[in-house]
Amino acid sequence: MLKLAKVARHDRGSPPKQDTQASMSRPEITNNNWDEALTFVALQRDRSAYAELFNYFAPRLKAFGMKMFGNEQQALEMVQDTMLNVWKKAVLFDASRGCASTWIFTIARNVRFDMLRKKQSRKDDVSADDLWLNGEYPEQEADTDTSQWDTQLLMDKLAPYFTSLPPAQREIIEKVYLQEKSHQEVSDELAIPLGTVKSRIRLALDRLREALDGARN
Amino acid sequence: MAHAIKFHPGMSLLEQHAEGTLSADIALAVAAHIDLCPHCQQLSRDITTDLACQLAQQPVKTNNTDWQQMLNDIMAQPQLPKQATTMQQQVSAQQAEPIIVNQREFILPRSLQRLAANRCKWLQLGGIATAKLPAGNDYHISLLYIDKNTEVPQHTHLGLEMTLVLAGKIVDENGEYSAGDLLINSPDDTHTPRTMADEDCLCLSVLSAPLKFKKGLTRLLNPLQQFFY
Repeated sequence: MLKLAKVARHDRGSPPKQDTQASMSRPEITNNNWDEALTFVALQRDRSAYAELFNYFAPRLKAFGMKMFGNEQQALEMVQDTMLNVWKKAVLFDASRGCASTWIFTIARNVRFDMLRKKQSRKDDVSADDLWLNGEYPEQEADTDTSQWDTQLLMDKLAPYFTSLPPAQREIIEKVYLQEKSHQEVSDELAIPLGTVKSRIRLALDRLREALDGARN
Repeated sequence: MAHAIKFHPGMSLLEQHAEGTLSADIALAVAAHIDLCPHCQQLSRDITTDLACQLAQQPVKTNNTDWQQMLNDIMAQPQLPKQATTMQQQVSAQQAEPIIVNQREFILPRSLQRLAANRCKWLQLGGIATAKLPAGNDYHISLLYIDKNTEVPQHTHLGLEMTLVLAGKIVDENGEYSAGDLLINSPDDTHTPRTMADEDCLCLSVLSAPLKFKKGLTRLLNPLQQFFY
């Protein structure tokens, strides 16, 4: 369950500064906790749950912003705008559709895109809302392509391409196909959500397929 | 039964799209392809999940930023009421207006609907009509309608040309393209797209430079290249 109960309530006055550092250096926070924390913010307007989320994500969003903008002022503007959206729109978060970190990342990406657009003062152009669907595409019949790859084929034909995979995907492919670990075992071992394990496997397989037959342009 | 889409954006285009680092015109063509392609919807979701996980897992140094001030400022703001969820569903359920060209009606992918509603008027040249989308001065994004049995004169590209088939079918020297297929032609690729005798075609066209017409009399079209741009 949520560790939030242990955190001092922030309702009455400013919390002590060390709170921030304590939660940032906490070693193990799984994405499940973030989903719960965000759900608490949505349903109960839980300020301490929000503070936990903020303390964890704000510095990471800033690092992302620094990489994208290359300057601190804009990076912080992006963090503020993103985290304000997280606070205001928490009620729109739906844990069944994806994890909290994905939701927060997409908000940051859209904020950043629209910041760049406004800087160039073009109000009617392509906006983040045009480019990225806010929500889910309707369910389609399952794409069976990926599951048709059998392990033997992978071993024989694709092995030479393993090295071309991004490290995070290669690591997971090796654990699943070479060490024959279950998706859940890999998720536990690397402390990443199960959904991310599955995503990375699909991405790696598609990348290998692309390397093999060059189907994509 | 939906036909299979054969021509997809490459993995690195999808990654840059999910990251938000493509220029707006290319991003729009990729977004519209994703709207039409369940396979790339899945890939795109996976890439986004992956990127978000990288963001959440990156180690950060403690720094001097006064986060407490920002946190207090944010929590002083009101939150959306709970009914907001249903409002959002209503907005997304709104039915798109079809666009009409050559007495034919087309429903565009979600990503193009807002821009297409503000499109410039159709310009017609023979069996070909184009309408520019108001995407800003730096970009040349248009809808391109090609009537049945019509050939676009052979041309080469001074820049990148992206063509997304939205409806119908088009063929060129390299293959046959149906709804959802995304063609990317780089500078120096030469092709002569045309429609079949029984089927017209609506495309999204993104150009980073004007077309240059190659052959004989069609070179006379070069002064008209602004028509396509």
